[in-house]
Amino acid sequence: MTTVALLGNPNTGKTTLFNELTDKYAYVGNWTGVTVEKKVGQIRHSHTQVIDLPGVYSLNPITKDESVVTNYLLQNSPDLILNVTNASQLKRNLLLSVEVLELGVPVIITLNMIDDLKRSGHFYDLKTLSDKLGCPVRTSNARNKEGLTQLKADLVCDQSEIQPDSPLKLAYPMMVKQAIRQAAESLTNDYKIDNKFAHWLAIQYINNNKVVRKYALKHQLKPLLSQKAYYDAQKFADQIFETRLSFIEATLSAATEQLQSTKHVALTSKIDKVVTHPIFGLPIFVGIFYLMFKLSFDWVGTPISTQLDKLLSGPISHWANQFLTQVGALPMLRSLIVNGLIAGVGGVLVFIPQIFVLFACISILEDSGYMARAALVTDRIMEMIGLNGKAFIPLIIGFGCNVTGIMAARTIEQPKERLITTLISPFMSCSARLPIYSLFVAALFPRHQALIVLSLYFLGIVVALLMAKFYHVMFKAKEHSVFIVELPQYHIPRLDIVWHGTWDKGKGFIKKAGTIIFAGTVLIWLLSNFGTRGYVTQIDQSFAANLGKVLLPVFKPIGISTWQPISALLTGVLAKEVISSSMMVLFHTSNQGALIAMIGGSFTALSAYALLVFILLYIPCFATIGTIKSETGSAKWAAYSVVSSLFISYSLAFLIFQIGSLLT
Amino acid sequence: MKHFMIKQFNGLDYATTQRLHSLGLQVGSEILAVRFYPFHGPVIIQADHQRIGIRYQVFQQLTGGDAS
Repeated sequence: MTTVALLGNPNTGKTTLFNELTDKYAYVGNWTGVTVEKKVGQIRHSHTQVIDLPGVYSLNPITKDESVVTNYLLQNSPDLILNVTNASQLKRNLLLSVEVLELGVPVIITLNMIDDLKRSGHFYDLKTLSDKLGCPVRTSNARNKEGLTQLKADLVCDQSEIQPDSPLKLAYPMMVKQAIRQAAESLTNDYKIDNKFAHWLAIQYINNNKVVRKYALKHQLKPLLSQKAYYDAQKFADQIFETRLSFIEATLSAATEQLQSTKHVALTSKIDKVVTHPIFGLPIFVGIFYLMFKLSFDWVGTPISTQLDKLLSGPISHWANQFLTQVGALPMLRSLIVNGLIAGVGGVLVFIPQIFVLFACISILEDSGYMARAALVTDRIMEMIGLNGKAFIPLIIGFGCNVTGIMAARTIEQPKERLITTLISPFMSCSARLPIYSLFVAALFPRHQALIVLSLYFLGIVVALLMAKFYHVMFKAKEHSVFIVELPQYHIPRLDIVWHGTWDKGKGFIKKAGTIIFAGTVLIWLLSNFGTRGYVTQIDQSFAANLGKVLLPVFKPIGISTWQPISALLTGVLAKEVISSSMMVLFHTSNQGALIAMIGGSFTALSAYALLVFILLYIPCFATIGTIKSETGSAKWAAYSVVSSLFISYSLAFLIFQIGSLLT
Repeated sequence: MKHFMIKQFNGLDYATTQRLHSLGLQVGSEILAVRFYPFHGPVIIQADHQRIGIRYQVFQQLTGGDAS
């Protein structure tokens, strides 16, 4: 098995290339120490394994997800590194390539997005580049599948066929060179570290690479540790940077060729003139989101969901019931399958269209390049609460799923800002909360469905921002925010890439339906069919009813007057989708229409809204609590998140219901 | 759109300097100020055909305080 690591700057089309080269990835695993998702795929019909690493600007990490790459290189040695670069921004992309080439692992560089470069009117002589850098250089355009056959042929080879590479040796200033050589020699002699690797370690250590410095400390690499003060005092890091940059500039000017035809790229600046407008940028941002919700809830998602529900609660439920009666299944089993599983799990599955439309919209925004602009236009507002525009992206991704949102917060540079973003992420209304909103708005706000749902999303944002400000003051965060955001060229979203992104995000939902929602539904069915006297036919005598009734006085002040929603809320901590499937089971209905009628009967518009606000903000689901724990590295923050969100949700729902009752 | 030259990295924190370096910016780089956001919001600059958004204070430091 040959292992190829994909490595490159952000926005170079790495993930697209990965998806084009590999089959559906085999598994998603963890690195040692950090829990980050790595994607591992296999090239079709081959024994070559491809690892997709997060995009980085340099091997000296600033953010948490960047350190994954450095740690990978310290702990693993891939057989080959495919360095994906953005052809039109080769200068800065090569800064990373130089660091990789110094490692001495065989490298292939591909100039990706090559058509963007051609359009800008110049090209590079590949032979010159290859000679200067000492590795093969290819061109590709992953979006149009150009150059992929060649790349695949390069990657699909036996381990034994790969030629060992000699590391790139730059002409660093004499003093630096000497320091590198001395350190590398003692590392090789005294610590039995492979010479190439020792050389690279020395350069990275001198260049003030935080992860490498930690590594040296952990392994007590004395030759490096003893010289630290000297390296820093001499400003060797600056000299290394200057040497690299002038090497790259010389290489590029030797390799640049002018093309005759110049079709200038006007698309990006034309779009940017509008969407990054100093004044209209923000309203446009809000408008795009409104459109996204309209698509998901009014125009496309909901109509399909309704059809799906008709099918599931009508023919399928009926047929299953008949079949089970015919084969003589126990009434209890029949009830479990028809009223429990088909109603419960099915009740969640019918929301697939809405969720997938929402995910498709987020994928389109990601693929087109708009997300970076969203970070830019929201930065000024985020600055007021002590965060920066980049924190907005994890929050938006949190609309899909809080877990991925919290993971995306890894790209934030300042640790305190990252912690704040992690803590406010659960207030973003994730897609799992949608089913229950849909039921309630259909029951009580049939004419303003999208508007009510949108108001909940915005309420979530407002609460998140207020809490962020609160934390900012509490933590006395004084460090300056690091806000540097690259604005990539726009791309017309491609259908298969959008589908890939949508499926990537949405498959978790389907998987959950088969596992935790299934389990939650069975649990609630058991609770609602068994009581202190065993199997009960009257749901009023069940455990679920007992539990709900005990808690009823607590929930009365926020407008809940029946026990069913309370039991459903308890199970919702497993996963938020379970709330609606539990409601199905608890209200003993098998189709959405009947449940909607039931809800319409037991809630007023006001109490329904108060409940929705409670659902929006209360305890995060298990998966989110787990992610908060692993990302902050402490159970304390996870526990804090549970308690604080419960407090906030209850207070807000209480205020809404009480003040609303006074007014009406 | 106005041309500026990067005069210095002094006064910027380590992470910001490093990130700007990684984007290929150094003392002497020519940059173009594409857009200023109101209330001293972010600034879009362009260098080597790439557009980057940075904070106003950072822009001021880089160009030596003559941003208007």
